[in-house]
Amino acid sequence: MALLCSLLAWALLALKGLKAEDEACCGTIVPRSEWGALPSTCARELEVPVPYVVVSHTAGSPCDTPALCLQQAQNVQHYHVRTLGYCDVAYNFLIGEDGLVYEGRGWKVKGDHSGPTWNPMSIGITFMGNYMKRVPPPRAIRAAQSLLACGVAQGILSPNYEVRGHRQVQQTQSPGDQLYEIIRKWPHHYEE
Amino acid sequence: MRKARFWGLLWTSFILELQGAPTSETKRTLTEGTHLMEKCPVSVNKYLYYRKAWQRLGDRGEIQTLVNTELTSGMNSKVQMGRYILDDMPREGIMYIHMSDLRLEDSGLYRCVIYQPPKAPIPLHQPIRLVVTRDPASHVDSIQNLAQSSTLPPVTTLPPVTTTTQGRTRASTRPVTQPMSTASLGVNPTHKTDTPRISTTSIITIVVCGILSKSLVFTLLLIATQRSFGS
Repeated sequence: MALLCSLLAWALLALKGLKAEDEACCGTIVPRSEWGALPSTCARELEVPVPYVVVSHTAGSPCDTPALCLQQAQNVQHYHVRTLGYCDVAYNFLIGEDGLVYEGRGWKVKGDHSGPTWNPMSIGITFMGNYMKRVPPPRAIRAAQSLLACGVAQGILSPNYEVRGHRQVQQTQSPGDQLYEIIRKWPHHYEE
Repeated sequence: MRKARFWGLLWTSFILELQGAPTSETKRTLTEGTHLMEKCPVSVNKYLYYRKAWQRLGDRGEIQTLVNTELTSGMNSKVQMGRYILDDMPREGIMYIHMSDLRLEDSGLYRCVIYQPPKAPIPLHQPIRLVVTRDPASHVDSIQNLAQSSTLPPVTTLPPVTTTTQGRTRASTRPVTQPMSTASLGVNPTHKTDTPRISTTSIITIVVCGILSKSLVFTLLLIATQRSFGS
């Protein structure tokens, strides 16, 4: 009996040492080529590991099917590149209400989502839609969380990365009242 | 009853041990004479119109405000107090702290806060443990350095606190810093100068024993419990 208990004790302690971030399912990102992205002319890279993630919303139309979200991703990029003159869509990743993640600038390139202070030190993810009065469906939230877990697994996001809402880093309503309340409950969210 | 309570205690402490202790300080190690630059994020939506400060935390919980902002307009401000600079950019959600010409006695615990006297300050993020090490390129004898710096009045380098208002520990700032600085002086030089050579095997042995000892203690306690209460 005592031997069994002590063996259990050793096993549990060993397991504790080996425990790591397991959710490394990184295969569900829709690549640029698939959603018909214009080529990027961005050059600035992010310094890895990235300590922060900034969550925003596009404040534009939502989309709940892959066909609609593909179009919406293109629309957002067109606006940023053709109208605002950016080198590419501002965000590193876009999340659709179809539950899919759309590759923006990706993990390695600096975005243009949160101003000169936060862009070089964060990954900017955006939810396609306006979330002042609505919430994204659970599949969109799951997609975002699994994307971030993937970032950690790849060593791009620091294991202690912090999530902040866009309104915490710039004067804006983004990511919308409803979505902000959701991300405030995320384990990596930092309030102050 | 007694047995059950004992088991309960044992398993509770075991589970707590499994969870581990979270890190609660950010460590910065710099050589004397160099410059510390710290970034403190501040949420725009919460604290745009609040004042900020950089404070030092003493060993006995004393708080010393080294530099603070005055503006509550949300505009950028840059305040300098001796070797400390606070560069606040409220609409960018960040403030920068600069400490120049670092000295050994600067070693200690610091933090960025929302400054709102007479109310208690709100810490922003975890405190920063600054460790200032001796310059390895220095040619002066280390014992002489120790004698010299202990006679220097470190308090004169620390600026008078400007916003004394109704703050609690303000009157004690000067006497407080001396014990802190001599304490830190006592730690740093001995580490640098008097550390004997330890063989690699001893280090490995100590580390392995440390890891094993925790589980060993629990195993022994379990066996002891079994023996004493019978099973």
